[in-house]
Amino acid sequence: MDILVAPLIVGLISAVLSALIVVVDSIVNNYGEVEIDINSGKKKLKVQGGRPLLFTLASENIFIPSACGGRGSCGACKVKVLSDVGEYLPTELPYMSKEEIAQNIRLSCQIKVKKNLKIELPEELFNVKKFKGTVISLENVTHDIKEVKLKLSEEINFKAGQYVQLVIPPYDKIKQPTQRAYSIASTPSKKDEIELLIRLVPGGIATTYVHNYLKEGDVLEVIGPFGEFYMRDTKKDMICVAGGSGMAPIKSIIFDMYERNILDRNVWYFFGARTEKDLFYVELFRKLEKVWDKFHFIPALSEPQKDWDGEVGLITDVMVKYLETMVGKETEKEGYLCGSPGMINACETLLKKHGINEVYYDKFA
Amino acid sequence: MKMSPEMIKAQENMKPGVITADGFLGNDDRNIVDIIAEDEREFAKLGMDFDEISNMMSEFLNIGEKGLGEPIKYKDFEIFVYEARGFIPCPFEDGIFRKKVATVKNLKNGEKIMYSELSIHLLKKHHFLQGKGSKFRLEPKILKKVFLG
Repeated sequence: MDILVAPLIVGLISAVLSALIVVVDSIVNNYGEVEIDINSGKKKLKVQGGRPLLFTLASENIFIPSACGGRGSCGACKVKVLSDVGEYLPTELPYMSKEEIAQNIRLSCQIKVKKNLKIELPEELFNVKKFKGTVISLENVTHDIKEVKLKLSEEINFKAGQYVQLVIPPYDKIKQPTQRAYSIASTPSKKDEIELLIRLVPGGIATTYVHNYLKEGDVLEVIGPFGEFYMRDTKKDMICVAGGSGMAPIKSIIFDMYERNILDRNVWYFFGARTEKDLFYVELFRKLEKVWDKFHFIPALSEPQKDWDGEVGLITDVMVKYLETMVGKETEKEGYLCGSPGMINACETLLKKHGINEVYYDKFA
Repeated sequence: MKMSPEMIKAQENMKPGVITADGFLGNDDRNIVDIIAEDEREFAKLGMDFDEISNMMSEFLNIGEKGLGEPIKYKDFEIFVYEARGFIPCPFEDGIFRKKVATVKNLKNGEKIMYSELSIHLLKKHHFLQGKGSKFRLEPKILKKVFLG
């Protein structure tokens, strides 16, 4: 009998202590109403204090990009804080450069709103909205990449190349919502629908959900648009390089150019994959080549398995070969990259070596 | 063996859904102090050194990165490194790591192992090879076959 009584007593004491902590916290840590001044008075919010800045701003419909949804594990939700909010936390420091610390850039998910605050935000964030997205189609475009089409609850205005954050709900053993960033693969002309390309990451909370649990008719929260990756309005030739799901923003940019009749720029699109089974949308881009004479699609395989008559090798090697032989040397060029960080770094280095200094990509986090 | 508060917190962080979908413990119901102690004994029995193995794992991951997401051959090994964007925190809360995953295959004996940048840190710093049945479990005998032949 004693064996049963002891755990019950311990459980009861724990419950009482927990309740006490909640009551004390609500009394001691009642920060009341505080003001957040954004961009020197451009926007002033009256909010209830006590929550992390990231969530406080989200409750006022100001969404800071966060790839982890406020768990302090992505380092994306950086905000310039002009007020004193105390020392940097150990959870913030790994994500901060010396320059950022000098400017008092903070992780908004890690700092609590306790008193009046002054902060600076890029004004485009004021246009970021939260949407409901109903899954209208789910298709495997390769063995590990899914194309997800979402019908949005209202119109979205974005630039081709930008990304949204998907809010992944709790599922199976996952107890908390999670957010992840995915580039939009469709064009801005489709205002009530977006298409995403999501590659399965081993053990990934969000990609496992999308690949193994998500089904047509499900509704997800979508926050966006975000990002600085979009076509610059110049006359320069474009060198686009992607691998895997990095296809998404490049596809959006290229088809947006076509839809808007921006056909006077040379566009070279290098897409790298391992084998034929990793290639997708090839026919789509081949058709585009037929109707747009300045668009060139160069898929390359590093390990072709069948009768592949296209380029063979790492995408960086293929890109360099074309830069040195096929792509006109006399014209000015810009680089547009999307893929793994390693591929982006390697391509950026090579593009700069070939005199292409304006290179654009989205780092997400 | 007794768990310190830090170890209890780390074990909580290793549950499915906290940091990764599947967690770090697989179907292992031992506490992490016992898992670590057992693997340390196994390492010693096999004559392996945590620093030596973790350095080799780092070296192979760095070499494999040159494949830019495609597998490459290096000496008697095939290395494939894939990197997703973003970071993953250590469950012991002492660092964040890029989401790099390497698969190294010893072409002489066909043995292969998959590990992440975080796995290397867990092995080097905490001597933690993950629970039995975990997707990223580093079984000492397989580590030896892959890296030491």
